[in-house]
Amino acid sequence: MKSVSRFLCLVSFLFASVFSVRAAAAAFDISRYSGPKMKDLYYVTIRDMDAQLLAMSAGQLDVMSNIYRPVDVERLAKSGVADLSLAATFHGMFVTFNTRKFPWDQTILRQAASQVAERRRWTRDLFSGYCEPMSSFLPVISPFYEDGATLLPSGAEAARKRLSDAGWTWNRSGWLVAPDGRELPVTKILCPPSSVAATTTEIATLMAEALVSIGIPAQAEPIDFQTMLARVDVRDFDACTNAWSMSRDPDVLYSFYHSSMDVEGGYNMSGIADPGLDEALRLLRYAPDEAAAREYSSRAQKMLAELMPVIPIYSRYSISAMKKGWDGVFLTDRSTADNLLTLISMTPAEGGERAIYWNIPEEIRTLNPLVSSSAYDWTVLGTIYDTLISVDPYTFEDMPWLAESWGISTGERGSVLTFTLRPNLKWQDGRPLTVEDIAYSIQFVKDNRVPRFYDSVKDIESIETDGRTLRIEMANTSYWHLHNIGGGVLPLPKHILEKVKDWRAWQPTNVPHKALDGTTLTELIGTGPFTFRESRTGEYVHMTRNEHYMLAEEASK
Amino acid sequence: MTAPLKRIGGSLVVLAVVLALNFFLFRVMPGDPLTSIVDPRFSPEAKAELASQWGLDRPLSEQFVVYVREMLSFRFGLSMMTGAPVWDELKRRVPNTVALLLPALVLSASLGIWLGVKAALNRGSTVERVVLWSGTVSFSFPSFFVQILLLMCFAYFWRIFPLSGTTSIPPPTGGAAAIDYIWHLALPLFSLVVMGFGGFALYIRNMMVKALGEEYVLMARARGLPFRRVVWNHAFRSILPPVLTILLLSLPGVVSGAVITETVFSMNGVGRFLLEATNSHDYPAAGAAFFCLALLTVGCNLLADAAYVLVDPRVRREGSRE
Repeated sequence: MKSVSRFLCLVSFLFASVFSVRAAAAAFDISRYSGPKMKDLYYVTIRDMDAQLLAMSAGQLDVMSNIYRPVDVERLAKSGVADLSLAATFHGMFVTFNTRKFPWDQTILRQAASQVAERRRWTRDLFSGYCEPMSSFLPVISPFYEDGATLLPSGAEAARKRLSDAGWTWNRSGWLVAPDGRELPVTKILCPPSSVAATTTEIATLMAEALVSIGIPAQAEPIDFQTMLARVDVRDFDACTNAWSMSRDPDVLYSFYHSSMDVEGGYNMSGIADPGLDEALRLLRYAPDEAAAREYSSRAQKMLAELMPVIPIYSRYSISAMKKGWDGVFLTDRSTADNLLTLISMTPAEGGERAIYWNIPEEIRTLNPLVSSSAYDWTVLGTIYDTLISVDPYTFEDMPWLAESWGISTGERGSVLTFTLRPNLKWQDGRPLTVEDIAYSIQFVKDNRVPRFYDSVKDIESIETDGRTLRIEMANTSYWHLHNIGGGVLPLPKHILEKVKDWRAWQPTNVPHKALDGTTLTELIGTGPFTFRESRTGEYVHMTRNEHYMLAEEASK
Repeated sequence: MTAPLKRIGGSLVVLAVVLALNFFLFRVMPGDPLTSIVDPRFSPEAKAELASQWGLDRPLSEQFVVYVREMLSFRFGLSMMTGAPVWDELKRRVPNTVALLLPALVLSASLGIWLGVKAALNRGSTVERVVLWSGTVSFSFPSFFVQILLLMCFAYFWRIFPLSGTTSIPPPTGGAAAIDYIWHLALPLFSLVVMGFGGFALYIRNMMVKALGEEYVLMARARGLPFRRVVWNHAFRSILPPVLTILLLSLPGVVSGAVITETVFSMNGVGRFLLEATNSHDYPAAGAAFFCLALLTVGCNLLADAAYVLVDPRVRREGSRE
C-alpha cells in the first residue's frame, strides 16, 4: 500500500502540480462552491483518439477524458497546451479461473498462480507505469479496501514451494502432477484479440508464461470478444480475462463471488462456492449499518485472499487533459479534472464568458434516463439530473446533495430510509421540486420494473412523504439501500413523468416543454447545473447554465 | 418482357433469403444483447426483465413473425441501443452518408477513368508510369492512415479544413450553414477520392490497353475516324458494361465500409451505426441496416442490368429476340 501511495504521489506531482484549486483534504463543504459560472457547454463527439488529440492540441477542446495510451499522455504533456491530471479508479482487471473443474478447483493451485503473476513488471512494461498493479479484490481507492489481505510471497520459487509442501510433484518433462497422480490438462486463457484489446491479450500471454514457469501447461487463446463473453456466460472455459468497473460499495463482491450468482448471466464467473465465503457475503449484502458492512467486507476480502478464485492484475488510472487558461478547476488525488465540480466552478483565467467544449469519445445514443446504459450518455445526463446524496470527492463518504440530511435505521420489516430535502429546490423549468416528485419517480421505476433501476427499488415496501421529508421502508435490511436509492435513483419531475405513455420509447429531447418563464425547453428536465438545449446526433450536445441550480449564485437565482 | 420479370423475381427471392438469414444468423452468433451488459450492479433478475421487455423471452417463431412484419412495413421497431425507432435513426444518418459517398464515388470513378484512359493511350510514357504508381499507392494504403495524415496536414498544421464533424459548433444559420456543411465534407471527400481513384485507374488502364488492341479499333482508325471518337465511342464503350457493373456494385460496399471515414472525421453516418448495432447485438437496428444494404445491393444489381441494356447493343438485341 505504501509503495502504491508513493507511486501515486510521484505521478500526481508530475502531472497535476499546476492546477489552480487543490483544496485541503478536510471535510468537503459544498456550500463553498457556486455556479455554474459559464453559460454554454458543448459536449463534442470526436471518436478517433488521434483526432481527439489533434483537436486538443489545436485548442478546440477544453476537456478530454479517458486518455489511456502512454504515448498520448506523453505527447499531450510535451505539447504544453493542456494540464494533465491522473487519479486511481474503481477499474480492476482480473484473470478468472473456472473453479468448477480440475485443476482450478484446487485452491492451492490458484494461490500458486497468484504468486507467479508479476503485476508490477507487467504493468510497467505494458503501460509504462500508467496503471496500478493490483493484488486486492476491491480497488485500493475503495473506502472498504482491506490493506494487506492478499500478501502471498511472490515469485516462482515461493509458488513451487507452496505446491511441493502440499504434495504436488513434477514429472520428467517438468509438468506439474497433482497429489493424486493426475496430470494437468492445458489451461486456455480466453482473452479478446489484440486488435480489440492489445494489452489484455498480452496479459493473458504473460499469465500463461508465468503458469508454464511453475509447470502448469497453459496458453493464451484470443477469441472474438462477444464469443468470449458468450462462452464465459455458459461457463465453457478454463480461464479468462475480465475487466470490471466497480463502485465504492463492496457489495459487488456478492455479485462476483456468492454461489447464488453462479447462474447463466450471473457474475460469479469463477464458480467459487464456499459456505464460509457465502455467509460472509450474505452478511455483507444485508449489513444493517456501516460498521457491520466494514466488518463483513473485511472478512470477505480475507477469505477471498485465501480462496483466490480470480487473480487481480491491475487497475487503470483515469487520465484527463484540461486546456490551459481555466481557473477553478477542481481535483483531488481521487478525482481527475473532468468532474462536475470543475464544470460548475471553471472560469477563464482572463475573465469574461467562454463556452466550454468537452469531448465525448462516442456518439450519444439516447438521453432517455430510463433506458440509457452508455457511460457517455450518462456524462451528459449527469449534468442534468442530481441524486439525493452524493460522494465526497476526498473521502468517498456520503455527502449532502439534494437531500440536506438523511438516515438509515432498522424497522420492523427492514431498513427505513429518510431523506430531508434542501429548501427551495427547483426544476430547470422553474417549478418547485418536492418530495412528491421524488416519491413519484421511485414508484414509477418500481411499477414499470425499469431494468436500470430494478435492483435498487425492487425491495421497496412503502414510500411516505411529509413536508420536505421522504420515508422509504424496505422489505429487508441492508445498508446499501441507502446508496442504491439515495445515490442511484434519479428524481424526475412528476409533471413530466405523468405525461409519458411509453417510457421505453420516450425521447424527452424531442418533446417541447414550456418553462415557467415562457422559454421553450424539452422534457429532459432535471435539477442539475446545466439544462439541455439541443443535440445533433453524433456531433454535439448543447447545454446552458441552469439559473435555478441549487448552487447558482444568488444574483442569477 | 419475361427476362426482366425473371430478374425481378430472382431479386425478390434473394431479398427473402437475406431477410431470413438476417434474423437467424444474428441469433446463432455468439452472445446476445444481454451478453454485452457487463455490469456487476445489473443482476441476472434485471437482465431477465430487460429480455422480457425486448421480447427476447418469446418463442423464436413469434419473434420471427414480429421481425418480418416490422421489416416489410419499414418500421423496423425500436433500437435496443437508443430506444428510438430504427427508421428515425437511419433517417438521421442517411443524408450524411449520401452527401459524402455519392460525390466521392462519382469523383473517384471519373478521375480513375480519365487517368486510366490517359495511361492506356500513353503506354511506356511518364504519364503511364505516374498513373500506375499513384494508382497503386492510392489503392494499397490503409484508409485510416491516409485519413489521419490528411487530417494532420490540412486540419492541424495548415488549418484549412475543420478537424471533425459536419458542422461548426455553434452551427451557423441560413446560407452559411450550407457552406459550412460543404467545408466540413471537403476533407473526408478528398480523402475518399484520393483512396478511391487508384483502383478504377488501374482497372480501366488494363481494360483499355486490351480494347485499344482490338481489330475493331484498328478498323475504326483505318476508316479515318477522329482519334477522340475512336477512343471514347469505340474502345471505351466496349469496356463500359463491366465498368458500370463495378461502379454500381461497389456502392453497397462503400456504404458499409464508410465506418473508418466516419470514425476518423467524427461523422454521423450509416456505416458506424451498422457496426455499433452489430457489435451490441441490437437486433432491430442491425437487421434493418443489413436489410437496407441488401435492398441497395439488389437495386444496384438491377440497375446494372438495365444499364447493360442501354450501353450494350448486343444485350438489347438478345432482349428483343426473347
